[in-house]
Amino acid sequence: MMNSHTTQHLKHAKWQNIVIIFILLFMFVSALPNLYSDKVKLHLVSNNSKQTHSETISPQDINTLLSQHNLTVDEIKTSDISTAITLTNKDDQHAIERLLRQSYGADYSIGSRVESNSPTWLKSLGGEPIKLGLDLSGGVLFVLNVDTEHALSDRFKNIALEIRTLAVESRIRLAQISQPNNHSVEINFSSSKQTDNVKLLAKIMKSYPELTKKKQGDKQVILSYSPKQQVKFRQETMKQTLKTMRGRIEELGITEAVTQKQGKNNIRIELPGVHDPEEAKRIIGATASLDFYQLAESSTTAGIIYMRDDNGNKLRMNGQAVLSGSNIKNARAGQDEMGSPLVNLTLDGVGGKKMSAFSKKNIGKPMVTVFSEFYRNANDDMTKKSKVINVATIQQHLGSQFSITNMPSSKDARELALLLRAGSLTAPVTIVKQRSIEASLGIDNIDNGIKALTIGITITLLFMAFWYRTLGIIANIALALNLVSLLGLMSLLPGAVLTLPGIAGLVLTVGMAVDTNVLIFERIKEELKRGRKTLSAIEAGYKSAFSTILDANITTMITGIILYSIGYGPVKGFAIILCLGILTSMFTGVFVSKALTNLAIRDNKTQLLSIKTGDNL
Amino acid sequence: MSNLVLNQRSQLTKFRIISFYCATVFIIIALLGLFNNGLNLGLDFTGGYLTEFSTQHSITQGKMEGLLTSYLPDAFQLSSAENGTYWSVQQADNAISLKGKTWLMEFAQQSGLTITPQDAIYIGSQVGEELINQGGLALLTSIIVILLYLSLRFEWRLAAGSVIALFHDVVIVLGLFAWFDLSFDLTILASLLAIIGYSLNDSIIVGDKVREIMKSNSEKDVDSIINLAIRATIVRTLITSGTTLATILAIWLFAGESLAGFSISLFCGVLVGTFSSIAISATVPQLLGLSADYYHKKEQEVCQLP
Repeated sequence: MMNSHTTQHLKHAKWQNIVIIFILLFMFVSALPNLYSDKVKLHLVSNNSKQTHSETISPQDINTLLSQHNLTVDEIKTSDISTAITLTNKDDQHAIERLLRQSYGADYSIGSRVESNSPTWLKSLGGEPIKLGLDLSGGVLFVLNVDTEHALSDRFKNIALEIRTLAVESRIRLAQISQPNNHSVEINFSSSKQTDNVKLLAKIMKSYPELTKKKQGDKQVILSYSPKQQVKFRQETMKQTLKTMRGRIEELGITEAVTQKQGKNNIRIELPGVHDPEEAKRIIGATASLDFYQLAESSTTAGIIYMRDDNGNKLRMNGQAVLSGSNIKNARAGQDEMGSPLVNLTLDGVGGKKMSAFSKKNIGKPMVTVFSEFYRNANDDMTKKSKVINVATIQQHLGSQFSITNMPSSKDARELALLLRAGSLTAPVTIVKQRSIEASLGIDNIDNGIKALTIGITITLLFMAFWYRTLGIIANIALALNLVSLLGLMSLLPGAVLTLPGIAGLVLTVGMAVDTNVLIFERIKEELKRGRKTLSAIEAGYKSAFSTILDANITTMITGIILYSIGYGPVKGFAIILCLGILTSMFTGVFVSKALTNLAIRDNKTQLLSIKTGDNL
Repeated sequence: MSNLVLNQRSQLTKFRIISFYCATVFIIIALLGLFNNGLNLGLDFTGGYLTEFSTQHSITQGKMEGLLTSYLPDAFQLSSAENGTYWSVQQADNAISLKGKTWLMEFAQQSGLTITPQDAIYIGSQVGEELINQGGLALLTSIIVILLYLSLRFEWRLAAGSVIALFHDVVIVLGLFAWFDLSFDLTILASLLAIIGYSLNDSIIVGDKVREIMKSNSEKDVDSIINLAIRATIVRTLITSGTTLATILAIWLFAGESLAGFSISLFCGVLVGTFSSIAISATVPQLLGLSADYYHKKEQEVCQLP
């Protein structure tokens, strides 16, 4: 009976060891790409497209040019369109770039790209090194211009439309309604009947209390924003845009970006470790918004707009949108039964009510979904481009959830969902500056920081080995495995970025990993003092320390999770490392070190004594 | 012999009680500093004045930093782009900082660099209002959830001890930054979060020991139980704090100016956290009236139920 229990226990331990080895191997492979350094590749692209590239520039030329200045490169590759130069030493980049610019700058544009030189098998496994934050490795800087004037003018266009609708509803004829400038609207009444006009004006003022009213004679009224109100509107637009930008960056999975307001109407965005600036640019600069319109019943209705759908059919729509993108609470890309891409929408409370009321009244009638985007035309003017993406018949009474079908591709569906989730922009934005920026901490500081961290960890390792002897060495191996696992986990997670705050988390987790082992060892000592045999003392030590370790780690984990879910930017980065570090330190500190202790004891029975002497120190 | 042990015990109690009152005084001093001086918020929080310029030749960041330090009267943040030819200098928006592009010309003459001024513009804070609100909310939620979890696992008085120790640690470090007028930026915020984690860990281990002794032994009074728990965990506390402090000290000494504030904050936090795990998180439950036979009473109640 006793015997079968032991064999079962051994079997269990064997399985546990296999699982542990498997996990450690997986983490090791994930962490491997961090060992390989990045290589800088310079690209020379001819400005003159007619000239064949290889005619004007040859690898030999570049090589002789560089060797004259005692610079070496790994590889120079020439193709029909460009020349790629792989640098041996990253630090040479400035010098070589300057040299190339002097010699070829007139005809060629020079760009640089950073690539990992890890072997192909590792790349094919999808292994990637940890992404470093702005402070450690730099990134891309975008400066966006927010066209608040355009937003203001749009706002008044909407007000004018609303006034028209109100006038039709209350059967008051307006001679003309116009926008003399972007912050006012001029109403010309056709009759000078004051009671009607006053009634309409009162209604307008009720929906837009921020407007200032100014009478120009009997029939003419100008409604406008006072200068103070204009400033307020611009500030609010900037605030909204900033918030949307932060949302979009978060949606892109970049946690450690810096978003700042620059000047009056610019936004400065710094993105760390962005490999594909073009994609980031597209998402950040996108001004896409969705609006839902009703088809107009007759051409006499006020404020009609005309648009063409994909087949060139002319659509006549009510100018006032039933619903706009700002009412969308959540959007997810998906597929219908036929497998064609769609976007599932969830509306907020106001939107849900609007949609419910509208669709109830209009079952069987078509609704038009319009996708709009701003772009700069040849004259550098901001223009709005709108496209009808579908005309769907309202089949039933819709609630706050429905979907947009007829998306061209699932990539488009995903992108539209992302943009809708992050919130639409009320003002068009354009990227006015794009630049690659260097690590804000500076290379010397980073090198020093890594040196310091190494010194600190070395002191810790030496102390543990000295204080606990054999067990200390086991703890040190566990600590090293902990760092490898943490590195592996961080490389696996797409959102994890290592920054200075992250290093604070690293220091804390190293401390906690040491703590886990110290707690166990102190327990073992205690058990030994009580007169237990070494083997059972070790067993009991691991067992009873576990609940303490669990309590301490769970509480810290709670803090980590809350920080992650509520925090933003650097706080989030810190929280990720903290949570992952707790997981890995529990794993290595408890399971791995126990397996190692068992191994050490089984392999060498004399070790039992040396544990004891270590304890008596 | 037993007299000596008794004497030692009461000394530890005395030490704890005195430390507890000291900690109270420290908290008051720290709060005074916070309310009087306020925190010297860094550029990350306040925003400031941004001056951008480009240089003809590429320069290392360290060199440019040295040149600017000797020229600019106030603290600044420097970042470079385009291989060290494009520079952004961010300064606080106050009376002594140099604004606009005019100072650049003088700086160019003094340093002998060929400088082309680019933009000079006001820049907003790196952190949105939502972060400040959410940050406060996060702290509050985590404290409440931790209190709940610990109350479930331990006794509410032990839980309260841990949370008060946590409050103590954070306030003391904040007070330090207020009194010495050190710049409080985002890295300091991160180090504060690390301190929270550390402080909790420390307090819980002492609390756990207290619970264990209370469960196994009902004869002793609370005072000696707590002293016993501290005595049992002191080696572990010193080893963990010692090794963590060694790492932080290494960062402080060798990592240079840019990480100084960060390591000062962490160092003090860990030091204070170790102290508070003994002086506060173990003493508060006693002052709140923790009874030595709490866990035994509980068991009896359970037994009496049927």
